[in-house]
Parts: sequence; structure tokens; C-alpha cells
Amino acid sequence: MPRLPSFLSPAAWVIVGLAAASTIGICLMRPPASRALQFWIFAIQHKPFYQTAIAGWNHTHPDKPVELVLMSGTALQQRMMSSFFSGTPIADVLEVERSNIGPAFAGPLEKIGFVDLTDRLRDQGLLDGINRPSFSPWTSRGRIFGIPHDVHPVLLAYRADLVEAAGIDVSRIETWDDYFRVMAPLQVAAGESGGPGRALVVGWPSDYYIAEMLLLESGGAIFDARGRPTLNAPFNARFLARLATWFTGPRPVARSVDWFSASGHRMLLDGLVVGLPVPDWYAGIILKLEIPGLAGKLKLMPLPAWERGGRRTSVWGGTMLGIAKCSPRREDAWEFAQYLYLARATAEALFRRNGIVSPIRSHWTDPVYDQPDPYFCGQPVGRLFLDQAPHVPVRTSSPFNEQALTAFDNCLISVTDYAVRTGRADPATLVPEAQRLLDQAQRDITALVGRNAFLSSPP
Amino acid sequence: MKSARPHPAWAPWFFLAPFLLLFAAFFAWPLVRAAVLSLEQTYGPGVGVFVGFRNFAFLARDPLFWTALRNTAVFTVGSLLIQMPVALGLAILLNRPSLRGRAVFRLIFFSPALIGMVFAATLFTLIFEKQTGLVNFALHSLFRGWNPDFPWLEDYLMASLILAALWLYAGFNMVYFLAALQNVPQEQLDAASIDGAGPWGRFRHVTLPAIRPVAGFIVMLSIAGSFQIFVLPYVMFLRTGGAGPLNRGLTVVMYLYKTGFLIGDLGYASAIGWVLALLLVAIALLHRALSHGETQ
Repeated sequence: MPRLPSFLSPAAWVIVGLAAASTIGICLMRPPASRALQFWIFAIQHKPFYQTAIAGWNHTHPDKPVELVLMSGTALQQRMMSSFFSGTPIADVLEVERSNIGPAFAGPLEKIGFVDLTDRLRDQGLLDGINRPSFSPWTSRGRIFGIPHDVHPVLLAYRADLVEAAGIDVSRIETWDDYFRVMAPLQVAAGESGGPGRALVVGWPSDYYIAEMLLLESGGAIFDARGRPTLNAPFNARFLARLATWFTGPRPVARSVDWFSASGHRMLLDGLVVGLPVPDWYAGIILKLEIPGLAGKLKLMPLPAWERGGRRTSVWGGTMLGIAKCSPRREDAWEFAQYLYLARATAEALFRRNGIVSPIRSHWTDPVYDQPDPYFCGQPVGRLFLDQAPHVPVRTSSPFNEQALTAFDNCLISVTDYAVRTGRADPATLVPEAQRLLDQAQRDITALVGRNAFLSSPP
Repeated sequence: MKSARPHPAWAPWFFLAPFLLLFAAFFAWPLVRAAVLSLEQTYGPGVGVFVGFRNFAFLARDPLFWTALRNTAVFTVGSLLIQMPVALGLAILLNRPSLRGRAVFRLIFFSPALIGMVFAATLFTLIFEKQTGLVNFALHSLFRGWNPDFPWLEDYLMASLILAALWLYAGFNMVYFLAALQNVPQEQLDAASIDGAGPWGRFRHVTLPAIRPVAGFIVMLSIAGSFQIFVLPYVMFLRTGGAGPLNRGLTVVMYLYKTGFLIGDLGYASAIGWVLALLLVAIALLHRALSHGETQ
């Protein structure tokens, strides 16, 4: 029997053998060549419908099958950026959420990892066929890199059971000031009746989603059309001062209710707030699927405006479908993207399953949007959202949006603290402090944007 | 008698080779690469422009970096001040031979260290919730005046983080202290007793000096670990962008991660990493100098 060289023990030889075999194995291993187009998504709510749609596609296109992969939004963003930075494997087609897209636009235009769809969209007449503001988050330096999945207009959901029991007429509400005045009888200060009290609207200073949504509704913005920071615009300072007063005083009109947790849902069920701003996805997915106990107790109305005659909606969230530039089958991917996103059946299913209204204007006449919804006391929910869809504000796609929003929200928190500390409740008296804080934030964000050597032209 | 054959000259290198290769590939080369990267502005590893020391200059006046550094320092000091006495106290209690079920208690106190950090962070996110969170619920039940909406994860992020870290690591540090306590010479303790020293006197003049080297080691380990804290705040403050309101929960490594892996500016992230590394080296040197002075 052959003897092993004696300078290693038999066990050590086994280890060496295993190490060598696994190393050789890994070197020889090749990822299986997939025939299918890879399609990555992050929203589990999209999966059931997409599976059906993909089964239909695979049946009619056996030469271009599609494979669906669901992963978390964070995982998708990291794998996407890893691919754009280092060429690691990526899907041919992928859905990306708005809060995850910024980094993809931070480099040179030619290094953006998505296919530039601008010319394709123009050639097919889709630039006018799709709700125009819905392109804004997916546009960088004038080029469009994704097909919008949605519009996500925002309405105000209110506790119709409480409001009607109190004999309140919501048709008298046009502005936020009207809303707080008309709903005042429903407000209960915390501890007033030995309980947690009731506020009039959901909101708290550190929730930057709501700060952005309300700022956009008011007409403010933190970047201009050329991607330059505009945090310290006097308009923004006035807005910040007004919003801060929602959270201060002996009876704050707003209260903190977590949008996505069990404790937040419990607070909504217990009627600890009267109203909450909701985009279509929140109404269709979170409220209806996760808080069924509110069925028949909520109604929708346009958001109260900040000024008379002002905008009655805003926008919150958003998803796009993009095609990876490195995909060897970009034409197949484009064909599939159109099949999935532009078909009337898709729009209808999207609304039926998730309550999301389509960004494709020609679908807006579909009767599905006029059907009464028992969850919202028989209101035609789709039509209510679509009535506001053309008015949703344009948003920035600046790669620095998250940082700027955080800075803006930090100003809101500081102004609120200042109002509490000094006992000032009149917005006019808070404007100078708001302006001072926004000036500082503007300097910080301008410095951050300014040091980016790759944004040769504004985003 | 057969004379021993001399080893060939390459033998030491042959045996050192695995370590040297790993060290070069996973430590030395990344360190050099990070130093080079810190002089560039990048969009991922593939696109970069040389900017010299501008990353460091920007860092010096970057308010977010200073906020992150201040938060991290607060966490480190807070953790040390609470964790060390708690860990030592537990170790002293569990070192008493008269205590029944010592092994079980040791396991119980050590067990949080066996739990995944993501799990622990998720647990503490729920514990610090408003209204339904265990902490607010318990405090409101005990003291009716306690606000059940108390914003632990908005206004008291570092306190929440320190408490979560205490739960995770106190038992871990306790094990080190326990090992040190078991090495305190019994004859010295007996001699101190004979000389009339009480429990406090024995602890102060015999036990404490004996465990000082281990305590110093734990302090250094805790400082290094605390300055690199990432997972705990990342998960606990996920809802508020991983940093919390007013960036109250932003830590240095969190800032490094966001800069490097979300924005793609690996150059700036490398500069942050180098500054953090130098800071830790400076703390280690200072600790060493102080320990040396004590020994002298």
C-alpha cells in the first residue's frame, strides 16, 4: 500500500486533499447559463400578478422565457449597485423603488447602469402617453432610465365613523387650516380623559417621508430643475415654520403613528387619529390587507391644500422598471417591459390587487377605477386617486436627495424643538429660526453636491 | 547516533507562506488600496479621479462626520461606563463558591452573546416601541405619569443603543472578568484578611490590581468594538434611515458604509476608514503609555 509522505499526519493529508479538491472544483465551476431573462423585484405584493403575467408571456414567447426573482429592497439595491460598480451578475430587467435609485445616478451619465430609454419612449409616443410627472424620479440629466410603474397620488383618509357621528361636514374643508378648524371637536388632548387622546392627523417631525410629501404638495422643493439645492428658499422656511406648529402647543394637531408597525396599526384601529395622508399603495395594500378592522370606517378626500386654490394632492413612493445596460438581450427585455407595464390587463390587475392606479393615461377611462370600494364606504377609490393623478408634483432624481431630505427634516425637528423651548406657536415667529437652519443645511448640501466630480451636467 | 538533518533555508518561509499569503491578500493589500483610494473620488471601484488630500480636507469640515464621531464617542464612553461595572459585578457574584447553580447563571448571562446581532437589534426595536413596546408599557404600568409615546428610538437613540449593547456584551465581558478573578491568588486574599482587610479592602487592594491587565484588555477591546459598531444601529434605526432623527444614531462606520456602498464614493469612505484606524491606533498607544506608566 503506498505510504503518504510522513511530514504530515493522515488527518492533515485529508484536510489538504479536501482543500485542493474544493479549490479545483470552485475554479472549474461556471454559473449555469440561463436561457431565461432574469427579472428582479422587491415588492412581494407584485409577485402574484407578475407570476400570472409571466406564465402568459412564457407561453407565447417560449424562445424568450422570463424568470422572476423576489428579494428585499435593500438586497436589490446592493446587488444592483454592486453590478453597476463592479460588473457582478444582475438581472436583465429590474424594478427599483425611488428611495433606492439615487446612487445609480451619482456617476458619469455614460456609466449609469440602466439603458437610456428616452428615445424608445419618444418613438412610441409614451412620453405623452404616460403621466408626465411620473417620469421625474427616473430622469437624470434629461435622460429617462425607467418606465414608471405608478403615479402614487396622495389623498386624505379620515375616520368617517367618528366624523359623521360628530355631524361634521367635510365638504367645508379646502385647506389645512379649514381641516384643523372643522375637525377640532374630535381632538382630545393626551391625558384629558385619562386616555392617550386623539390627534387630527398622522405626522411627526422626524418622519421625512411626510415632510417631503407635504412640502411637495405646498409647492416647495429642495432641488431645482437643474439639480441645484434650494433648501433655503424663503418659501421652504415659511412652510417649515407652519408645519412645526402641527407638533407643538398644548394640543398638537398631529401625532406619531408608525405607518408600518403593529403598534401603529393598533393606534389607527383605536381611533387615536382622525386622518392620515395616504397614497394609493398605502390605501390598497397596507390599509386593506393589514388593517381589515378599519373596513367601512374610512373615507377618502383630496388632501387639504396649503393655500386656497392650491394643489390638493402630493406624491409618495414610486417604482420603475429598468433594463440593465449590460444585459445581452436588451431588445427582448424591452419587449417584455412593454408587455408587462403597458398592457391594459396589467393596469387593471395592478388596481384590483394592490389598489395602485396606472400611470398610462389611456387606461384611466377603464371602468374598474369607478367601482365602489366597500372598505372606503363605497367610494370609487380609483377615480378619486385618478382625479388627482395629473396634479402630482414633479420630483427630483438628485443622487443627493436622501441626504438633502434628511437635512431638511433635521431642520424641521430643530424648529419644532425651538418652538417648544420658546413657547412660540405663531408660524411667523418661527420663520427666522427656520431660515437660519435651512441656510446652514443649504451650505452643507451644496458642499456635498459640489464635491461630486462626475455630475458634469446637473442631474 | 544519527545527526539531525539541517532544515532547508526555505522551510520557515514554506510554513509561514499560508499566513503571509492571507495577510497580504486580505490585510496588507486592502490597506494599501484603501490608502490609494482615499486620494481619489470614485463612483465604484472602476471610475475614479485623483483628488489628492481633498477627501481629508472635506472630512475635516464635514458636519456629518463630526456628528458620527461624536455619537460614536458617546456610545463608547457610555458603554464602557455601564458595561464594565455591570460585567465585573456579575463576575464577582458568579465567582462566589457559595452560589448554587453558578454554571446555569453563567450560561444565562453569557447567552445574549450567542444570539445574532440582527436578531438582538430587532428585539430591541420592538422593546423600545411606543405604546406597545415593553419598556414604555412597563414604565407606564409602574408610573402612571410615564408617557407611553416616549420616543426612545427618536430622541434617545444612543441611550437605547447603549442599553441594547449592555444586554449583548455584559455577559461576554463577564466571562473575561470571571477568568481573571479565578486567577487572583487566594493566599494574597487570605493574607489581606489576616492583616485586617475587609471585603472592600481586599477587593480594592488585592483583587483589582490582580485583574487590572485583563480589565485593560477588555477596555481596549470594547473601545475598538464600540468605534466599529454598525449592525446594531443599522437595524435598530432602519426606519429612520439608519441614523435616526438629527443623525442622532449615525456612527462612523455607518457613515463610511453609506458613503462607500450606497453612494459609491469608495475614496471618501476610505478616507473615513483611515481616520478611524488612526484614531484607534492613537487610543491604543495612549492606553499602552498609561498602562506602562502604571507598571513603572
